[in-house]
Amino acid sequence: MLEIAGLLLALILSLIIVIKSSDLFVDNIVEIGAALGISQIILGVTASAIGTSLPEFGSAMIASLSGSTEIGVGTVIGSNIWNIAGILGISATVAGVIGTNPKGITRDGMVTLGTGLILIFFMLWGEITRIASIVMILFYLFYLWLLIKAQKEYQDSKSPDKGFKKKPITKKRIGFSILGIAGLIVGCRILVFAGVELARIAGIPEMIMGLFTLAIGTSIPELVVTLSSAMKGLHELSIGTVLGSNTFNILIGIGVPALFMNIPVDPLSLSFDAPVMILVIVLVLLLIKKGGMKLNRVGGIILISTYVVYAVSRIYLLA
Amino acid sequence: MEMYEKILVTTMGEYMDEIIEHTVDLFRGRDAEILCVYVVETSVPFLTPKKVKEMMIEELTSRGKEILTDMEKGIKKSTDSNVNFRGIMVEGNPADEIVKIAEDEDVDVIVMGTGKGIVDKHLLGSVSEKVIHSAPCTVLLVRTV
Repeated sequence: MLEIAGLLLALILSLIIVIKSSDLFVDNIVEIGAALGISQIILGVTASAIGTSLPEFGSAMIASLSGSTEIGVGTVIGSNIWNIAGILGISATVAGVIGTNPKGITRDGMVTLGTGLILIFFMLWGEITRIASIVMILFYLFYLWLLIKAQKEYQDSKSPDKGFKKKPITKKRIGFSILGIAGLIVGCRILVFAGVELARIAGIPEMIMGLFTLAIGTSIPELVVTLSSAMKGLHELSIGTVLGSNTFNILIGIGVPALFMNIPVDPLSLSFDAPVMILVIVLVLLLIKKGGMKLNRVGGIILISTYVVYAVSRIYLLA
Repeated sequence: MEMYEKILVTTMGEYMDEIIEHTVDLFRGRDAEILCVYVVETSVPFLTPKKVKEMMIEELTSRGKEILTDMEKGIKKSTDSNVNFRGIMVEGNPADEIVKIAEDEDVDVIVMGTGKGIVDKHLLGSVSEKVIHSAPCTVLLVRTV
């Protein structure tokens, strides 16, 4: 009992360390980037695309490197299902409505769907290999380029003469970046260890631990950003955070670990979790289309219910 | 003595037409001083990435500027009276900032929308409800739901 309590505490503390370290790292690396002359647009888009997703990436990477590939893949797929069905569902239910920009939702929605299908395609090979990894990383770079292009057009139309402020690189910035990355690595290592040990003691499969506990935990930044931006009426940021994070989770969260080792595919992931992930993407896009390019409260409740049905069937019926 | 000469109008960009209509009606035929406030809500939950918070504030600030400009145009278009319009943008908690400005500027009346339906009110909290309890002056709540 004491061991479980200790592991739960380690899980919570390590999550906070992981999330705060990711934030510290992104914040400082962006400033260093700006000092090196990288455009604010590139930095802004990249920072918001990876900022909330570093915890998933870190956990997936550390889990895979330490031999718990199931936890790694589970965290990624579980996060993606939770991001859409859970986080968008909760945000639409609380905020009442989340609006979308037709151009943005078409681009991000299709990329998210395409990414999910790419993952299933590579899973069908039985193992996610280095070739798959390279394709996924290149696809992500292409998506990032699309985002940067769109943001550049938007800013040019708004304030064409907006220059960027150049600050010198200070030792503090470098120090904090290193501290951030170190915190991320150490935090993820403790997180994965606590997850694996908890699964062992409680007799839960590692995959379930990844799909739910780690997936939901590492998605806390997405939850706070999506919910608070929906409540403030910043709709594009709200839906963009979720779709951007899902794309990053697969292409980088699975793509980069697969560069170092072949990632085995759990049969149930291929036959159940990955199809559910595709299903929720299609569902949210349909709900948005049906709601006049908005996700409304009824849509939010449908999404949450879908998540509950998925979680119950995955934990109690299929585990 | 005219009752409403200095009016504080609050807006988040929604129901602007209704709010403008009621504001203009308050000073019909007379000159008025209108302060319009847009509050950039800066509070974010724990664990929100710093860069995302900065982005949110930047986006809300630029939206606020547009809303204040639209409000000024809307009010001046709806009346022949001589209107002295002042847009104010502040950061903080909307209800607290509205009450503070009303006190500091010694306004005669605050005009705001009721804003939310019953479900939204419980889920999101109501700025107008908080304002009416601590406002130093009369509050005109324009029915917007």
